Amino acid sequence: MELRPPIVIASGTGGMGEYLKLIDPKHIGAYTLKTITFNPRRGNPPPRLIATQNYLINSIGLENVGVEKFIEELENRVYDELFKKVKVIFSFAGENFEEYLLVAQKMAPYQDRFVAFECNFSCPNVHFNPLSNVVELERMLSELRKRLNVFLIAKLGVEGAFIEEIAKIVEDCGWNGVTLINTIRALHVDGDRIIKGGISGPVLKPIALRAVYEVRKKTNLYIIASGGIMNEQDAEQFFKVGANAISVGTALYKDPKMIEKIAQKFS
Amino acid sequence: MENFSLTRSELVQLTADTFIISFNEWIDFEPIQFIMIETETSIVRKPFGLGRWNGKLAIGVQIIGPGTNYIVQQSVLEAHGPCGKGFVPPEGKGAMIATPACLPMALDLHKRYGCDVFIGSLEELSIEIPFPLVVGDEAFLNLLRSLEGYDWFLVIGSDQMEKISYDILKGKAEVFVSFNEYMACGIGACRGCAKETKNGLKHLCIDGPVLRGEEVWS
Ligand SMILES: Cc1cc2nc3c(=O)[nH]c(=O)nc-3n(C[C@H](O)[C@H](O)[C@H](O)COP(=O)(O)OP(=O)(O)OC[C@H]3O[C@@H](n4cnc5c(N)ncnc54)[C@H](O)[C@@H]3O)c2cc1C
Ligand SMILES: Cc1cc2nc3c(=O)[nH]c(=O)nc-3n(C[C@H](O)[C@H](O)[C@H](O)COP(=O)(O)O)c2cc1C
Ligand code: FES
Repeated sequence: MELRPPIVIASGTGGMGEYLKLIDPKHIGAYTLKTITFNPRRGNPPPRLIATQNYLINSIGLENVGVEKFIEELENRVYDELFKKVKVIFSFAGENFEEYLLVAQKMAPYQDRFVAFECNFSCPNVHFNPLSNVVELERMLSELRKRLNVFLIAKLGVEGAFIEEIAKIVEDCGWNGVTLINTIRALHVDGDRIIKGGISGPVLKPIALRAVYEVRKKTNLYIIASGGIMNEQDAEQFFKVGANAISVGTALYKDPKMIEKIAQKFS
Repeated sequence: MENFSLTRSELVQLTADTFIISFNEWIDFEPIQFIMIETETSIVRKPFGLGRWNGKLAIGVQIIGPGTNYIVQQSVLEAHGPCGKGFVPPEGKGAMIATPACLPMALDLHKRYGCDVFIGSLEELSIEIPFPLVVGDEAFLNLLRSLEGYDWFLVIGSDQMEKISYDILKGKAEVFVSFNEYMACGIGACRGCAKETKNGLKHLCIDGPVLRGEEVWS
């Protein structure tokens, strides 16, 4: 996969293409869509966000229309403008292993429209952690590989197992890349409100850097780094420890123009 | 929708914690639309309703935390917008009921639609305003009870003030409320500003911020 510039919009943070209203597509290497699941999901009840200077906690809970409606939208050309402007990565997940397969099966006929499929194995807002069952995960990786003939990326988190061990399995199962890392489970107390969710932003950076470093040592996978990349200096550090591309999420909310600044440095 | 820098023209203090900031630049907007303003105190931009002050683009800011405190101190602000659905009032006679921070929005709505405006404040204001002002909780409740002969109301303020207003006004006319939720993107991407309504989940930055009160409260 060749991404020019090597900058990806992180799944979920950029929704279904909305940031093209604020960012010139020439600065975006690939736009990852919000994770799509087999069944539609309403997501978690509000409040869903809390932010400080160093982190954002979100409890969106994979709100999405479900794969059937998404395919209907694809057929109805809802995303034609987006596909015309940028390379698009399809992100998907399930509430159990079978649902991953079902989404893949439904999406297989449309795979050529996407530059890659990213399989989200690490959403902290859903009570299912595929990384905690390595045997099942391996079976799933092999099954998905058989069914999809597309650049396949596993999005891994740091909860469940050592990330480099999982990445090695991903590689051995014939997958092409990994996105490292996802948000991590966290909690915020704000007066009487308690928000449980996934933490993102600057606090994630050292953890994500370590993950990229360890996975690069152990595999030849294409690595998309994700976690706390807020500016050009952060991006540079991730490239230094072995990332092939960087993914920007929370930084969009601070300053959408940051994408352009990073792109100018790494085009 | 665009990114822009706004340079401060005037800073007017209304109460101990509430200010109006007007800007040298103009952007087109519809009533009650808002912009997302960058601060050094948070990694997400913060929403502020757009309005007018002395013919200029303006926002009102009530200081409630570090972000609002930061905003009143800056001479240049980075932002994007306009966000949200513009509010189009129904036919008939209407009134906006708001806190002092909403004064620029109220001036804009009044100019466009000729509606009445009532401001409820916890303190006296330091300047004259062209709208009736009531000071204190009791006076505010009396005001709400006294409002008659309207076809619609628009209420904007804190969560608590909005609920109290809705409960008193709901039998008298259609009540619209500008709801608050934490926001991150302001453009429909993050799904963070979800609000439960009787018609399903709404996202305040694209479906709102104004919704019918009865959609959210029974
Ligand atoms: C559509 C919209 C338009 C707005 N327009 C205006 C305006 O014109 N003028 C104005 O003064 N304020 C407005 N606000 C509120 C304003 O955005 C918040 O007061 C501001 O973001 C607080 O930032 P802070 O860093 O000062 O406080 P923080 O430290 O972020 O918060 C202080 C307290 O307020 C709560 N809070 C913060 N932001 C929100 C929010 N968006 N919704 C609910 N609770 C929140 C926090 O949970 C915390 O308890 C608007 C909000 C929305 C959603
Ligand atoms: C509001 C929000 C929603 C997210 N939704 C998803 C999602 O649907 N799928 C996914 O794989 N990751 C999701 N993420 C995680 C991001 O893609 C990214 O991996 C993470 O936020 C770390 O990067 P950052 O620090 O640059 O934001 C979400 C993150 C945020 C903040
Ligand atoms: S604030 Fe992001 S969807 Fe509304």
